[in-house]
Amino acid sequence: MDLFGNIAMGLGVAVQPINIGFCFIGALLGTVIGVLPGVGPTATMALLLPLTFGLPTEASIIMLAGIYYGAQYGGSTTAILLNLPGETSSVVTTLDGHQMARQGRAGAALAIAAIGSLVGGSVATLVLAAFGPLLTRAALSFSAPDYFALILFGLLVSIILAHGSLLKSVTMVVAGIALGTIGVDINTGQFRMTFGTMELAEGINFVPLAMGLFGIADILRNLENRGSGMGTVSVISSLWPSRDDIRRSWPAILRGTGLGSLLGVLPGGGATLASFASYSLEKKVAADPARFGKGAIEGVAGPETANNAAAQTSFVPLLTLGLPTNAVMALLVGAFIIQGVQPGPMMLKQQPGLFWGLIASMWIGNLMLVVINLPLIGLWVKLLRVRYEFLFPAVLLFCAIGAYSLHNSGFDILVMAVFGAVGYLLIKLGCEPTPLLLGFVLGPMLEENLRRSLMLSRGSLMTFIEHPISLTILIAFALTLVTVVRPSMRRKRDIAFAEEET
Amino acid sequence: MLRFVRHAIMAALVAGVGIGMSCAHADNWPSRNVSIIVPYSAGGATDILARKIAEGLTNELGRTVIVDNRAGAGGILGTTLAANAKPDGYTLFFGQVSSHGIVPNLAASLKYDPVKSFEPIIFIASIPNILVVNKDLPVNSVDELIAYAKANPDKLNYASSGIGASTHLSGEMFKSQAGISMTHIPFPGSAQAITSVMGGQTQIMFDNMPSAYQHVLSGGLKALAVTTKNRSPAAPDIPTVAEAATKADLSKFEATSWFGLFAPAGTPAEVITRVNTSVNDLLKKPEIIKFINDGGGVTEGGTPEELAKHVTAELAKWKVVINDAGIPKQ
Repeated sequence: MDLFGNIAMGLGVAVQPINIGFCFIGALLGTVIGVLPGVGPTATMALLLPLTFGLPTEASIIMLAGIYYGAQYGGSTTAILLNLPGETSSVVTTLDGHQMARQGRAGAALAIAAIGSLVGGSVATLVLAAFGPLLTRAALSFSAPDYFALILFGLLVSIILAHGSLLKSVTMVVAGIALGTIGVDINTGQFRMTFGTMELAEGINFVPLAMGLFGIADILRNLENRGSGMGTVSVISSLWPSRDDIRRSWPAILRGTGLGSLLGVLPGGGATLASFASYSLEKKVAADPARFGKGAIEGVAGPETANNAAAQTSFVPLLTLGLPTNAVMALLVGAFIIQGVQPGPMMLKQQPGLFWGLIASMWIGNLMLVVINLPLIGLWVKLLRVRYEFLFPAVLLFCAIGAYSLHNSGFDILVMAVFGAVGYLLIKLGCEPTPLLLGFVLGPMLEENLRRSLMLSRGSLMTFIEHPISLTILIAFALTLVTVVRPSMRRKRDIAFAEEET
Repeated sequence: MLRFVRHAIMAALVAGVGIGMSCAHADNWPSRNVSIIVPYSAGGATDILARKIAEGLTNELGRTVIVDNRAGAGGILGTTLAANAKPDGYTLFFGQVSSHGIVPNLAASLKYDPVKSFEPIIFIASIPNILVVNKDLPVNSVDELIAYAKANPDKLNYASSGIGASTHLSGEMFKSQAGISMTHIPFPGSAQAITSVMGGQTQIMFDNMPSAYQHVLSGGLKALAVTTKNRSPAAPDIPTVAEAATKADLSKFEATSWFGLFAPAGTPAEVITRVNTSVNDLLKKPEIIKFINDGGGVTEGGTPEELAKHVTAELAKWKVVINDAGIPKQ
């Protein structure tokens, strides 16, 4: 095992001035687009792809990768400050992060997100370097029934993670699953619930849905409560996490690193699950779960660490097999091919400098992200002091630009507006949008893997018991279900949540 | 009535001005940037080839040629947009086997006609699909695969990148011509499909050459044949399906992913000629030839009429495959 030799070679490539320069540009761009609501890494990388034609291979890939993990990182900023999740992974950050901001602790939330991301990203990169090929084999043995069981478990977790009435959160999950069925059915190619419009043929896009339900709905509510100031923050207590914050956060950061590194490897959207899984784990192990949803710093530290760790390990299937795990990775494949490199099993042999250089650049990039972002925290927090009359039109404008940039079409702006109204209604009804979003993301994956499992087993339900991974997860599912439903436990849950509703 | 007449006069005036303008444009075309609509998102195989061609055209024409990604509805959205775009030479369309071969036979209703809504410009490239199997499947040739399928009916699963994709219809064509049965397992993309073949959840796939071939080189998959009429320059030792099948008649088996440049119907002939000449020149450049060969494909080129003929042949061929497989209209 020549891991250290390889890493040394990689560092040799990554510290070349041109590569350091482009790594910085990537990390900076990623932060900026992460901060702008709705402008995601996919649109930015698609825009920048032609500019990379003339660059050396290492520099262009290092920059594009930097945009990707930089955006993961920057996305937490708007989630915390403005309750605007730009992507799936930052949805849970809004739960406690935005509450912290409302309590004037935005600085602490942002700083802990930065520190957690650095730890998660660095450790996960080491995991990627040391165990990449091994993890790939494990991911390959994950079959349709295993995915089905994992996603089912994820949905149950999403119900646990919500506050308020169990009935309401189940309703929200089901509504999310229903919204997720819109679009072409993979198994038959038939259009479902598209009402003959081509815009709906590929379903509702996550970004306008999330921006509408969270960001726009929040603006509507804030405007309604104009009497109580700008609706967010009046006093800002401190810019930095207190000693108590650090004490609470570090175990969450360690757990988030482990969870994120593992789930990120799964080709079927494991990274999506990472931040949700981390949040519910933190809530489970907390001595006082009632603090969650009211500004618990562990609820920021865990998920933010997990999503950054997952962002790094989701490079594993790409680099070892050439298999993209999400839309951004698919774009990276394109960037590799344009440079004349086919990402995959042969890359390590044919282009070791590129492979190890990219991995080493991730450490440098993660460090740069902290260097870029820590000084900015003061600036971001000041943003909250901007008068709301000036702040909210700017946010609306950026949301609209972000929605438009997805498909270069106005339809997504319309979707965002509709779900903004829906989100406002949900706030009035006391329903949480988080389980809805999770149902929306996981529902189609659940259906796809259920139907695929049954097609492969020729209709036999035994397939879920015959696969050991699926069986294990289903047993865990059953045990969790029992603890949720058992009357004594439910009473405890009700007490905990009744407090929160006051 | 008066209002109607006024509208009619207005419309005639506008149309007249429009025609006048487009004539003026054709003379000094291109006087501004040209865009090529690609009906898929950035980073995919179609997009990458389109960007390579756009880059070359930019140099040839002296005006920036940009790629406009209009993904949606499996490519139908972008194709319809292109069909209805102003035929002034500033919007071109990157067509492929899907938009001008498969989809018109599969869709219940389309707002474009692959022949009437477009002017063909030039046939750009053909890329084979490659028949790969899981490395533990006890077959090493097309003959052995057919024998295995007949000895183990209903055991084999083949993966595809989605209903109506060339990876799906290649499988259906193989089933019907070889007289075997396999279950089709669709995935939402090529990457997930090939993962399942490597992991052994499915056994067979007719994948696009560039992404699958690397797994053949690394020993993760076994390659049995390519789906084109001729062997691929990137892998000359892999036989074609027609060559490899000695015990079944697969001589007519041919399934190719191909790409061609089109313009909306009514685009001035001068523009078509100019682009055709430029792209023909481009396709002779060693850099472009190498890029397409590295992806397993071959460059095509030729006249607009040759592309028109190819489209007609493809539409007819896939119609038969889709009917034989009994795939319902969508």
